[in-house]
Amino acid sequence: MSALTTTTPRRADRTSTGRRLGELAAPLVFFVLLALAWQWTAYHNRSLIPPIQAMVTDLSSRPDYYLAQLWETLQSALIGLVIGVSIAFALAVGIVHVRALRTAVMPVALLINVTPIVAISPALIVAFGFTRTPHIIVVAIVVFFPMLINATVGLSSVDPQAMDVFRTLSATKGDVLLRLRLPSSLPFVFAGLRLSASTAMLGAIISEFTGTSKGMGASIMLATSYLNLAQMWSMIFLSALTSLALLGLVAVAERMVIRW
Amino acid sequence: MTTSPADRHGIAVAVRGVEKHFTTRGSSLHALSGIDLDVPEGRFVTLFGPSGCGKSTLLRILAGLEASDAGEVELYGQPPAAASARKEIAWIPQTPALLPWRTVRENARLSADVNRTADRLGGSQRVPLDPDELLAALGLEAFADARPDQLSGGMRQRASIARGFAQGAPLMLMDEPFSALDELSREAAQLTLVELWERYRKTVVFVTHSAAEAVLLSDQVVVMTPRPGRIHAVVDIDLPRPRSSRLEETDEFAALVTHVKHTLRSGWQAAE
Repeated sequence: MSALTTTTPRRADRTSTGRRLGELAAPLVFFVLLALAWQWTAYHNRSLIPPIQAMVTDLSSRPDYYLAQLWETLQSALIGLVIGVSIAFALAVGIVHVRALRTAVMPVALLINVTPIVAISPALIVAFGFTRTPHIIVVAIVVFFPMLINATVGLSSVDPQAMDVFRTLSATKGDVLLRLRLPSSLPFVFAGLRLSASTAMLGAIISEFTGTSKGMGASIMLATSYLNLAQMWSMIFLSALTSLALLGLVAVAERMVIRW
Repeated sequence: MTTSPADRHGIAVAVRGVEKHFTTRGSSLHALSGIDLDVPEGRFVTLFGPSGCGKSTLLRILAGLEASDAGEVELYGQPPAAASARKEIAWIPQTPALLPWRTVRENARLSADVNRTADRLGGSQRVPLDPDELLAALGLEAFADARPDQLSGGMRQRASIARGFAQGAPLMLMDEPFSALDELSREAAQLTLVELWERYRKTVVFVTHSAAEAVLLSDQVVVMTPRPGRIHAVVDIDLPRPRSSRLEETDEFAALVTHVKHTLRSGWQAAE
């Protein structure tokens, strides 16, 4: 009897930890296989990709260089993100209140969205010179559209029956915006922010391909001309990790803000 | 049922000759035709009828949520917009429509947080009630700090009723608030509403398509028929108050429910 009662939960424990290990094992095994394939390719085709230890050696021999480039890019990405997202959100608030603004803004926003950002980037360097400004503008442009669409949809996605309650109370437009539209929009706004956060890094790096000697984009271009594969791929992986970290930050913020 | 303008004292809701058409894709629907109705102050009046008889449309016109094509609506001698500006109309919608980011108590307090201008207007007949007291009366005191998604459907609808009563408006408009509830929650919700209403005696216009619900709750049942939506008859419900679940087992109750249903049927047949 006692043997039964003690073995049953232990077996249940073993299966649940076993299952958890199994869930971890699949991606781990895949990752190891990928790394092996990477190493195999790197040794058989030295001009294609660098071996992993070459990247580790380069990263650990001059971390200051990598951190400086990362910080440079991150600043442009974050400043551009804040500016682009703020403008998009403010416009969305205007759009849900003024119909004319919607018909005026949307075609222009669409046009900006379909214009290839690599085409705009050099033009901005010509206009603003070798400063941070053109890079910030590129980021602001690429994060603008996803936030505009998500915020507009979010601010309009209000429970019509709750709206009836607000209307019979003669709630002001400010009341409706602050106490109904804004909170209703938050899940959409965070979805937009997740999109914007990853495109912010993308925009910053692409814009650094021209008109600057600093930042991860410039570093990748420099590595290209010297065929420094270790530096190039270290930067690529570092940029991916940074985007991932930004996404994680947005997810944490979302969980802190949306508690319902 | 209707009075001349001279003796409208004590009349909370006065409706005269209200007409309403809906036009969608070229076809027109005559939703309301020649509606005349007086609701005396402090009475519980139910608009009863099948779907499409315009009862919800009439209620929305009373609330100022919908405009009529013709006719007049006066709430305490003023148009709906003026009553609404003073927060003198409490609207209880079909779904609870609670704000998911607010706790149950914060939801019940909503009317105090919006349209602050109304609080400075003098001469209002509105007497806001303590949300906590109402939540306790509705058996929700243990859930005051919970969020709506932690509540059952019946509890959410009671929280919505608490929000309506907390506003303290002299006129409450309820649009089939119990229609989405299961039978047991529905009966419980009806009885708590009766109890609450008998305590505060607000003027209530309640919409339902259930004859038993109409008889249990009301002083008067306004029977409406569709195509076009008209008031066919008004049935007085002279059942004693306070009312309880025991009332539903009496012969008088059953007879009144049958009478209300018969009245609707005869009106419907006459209309077709």
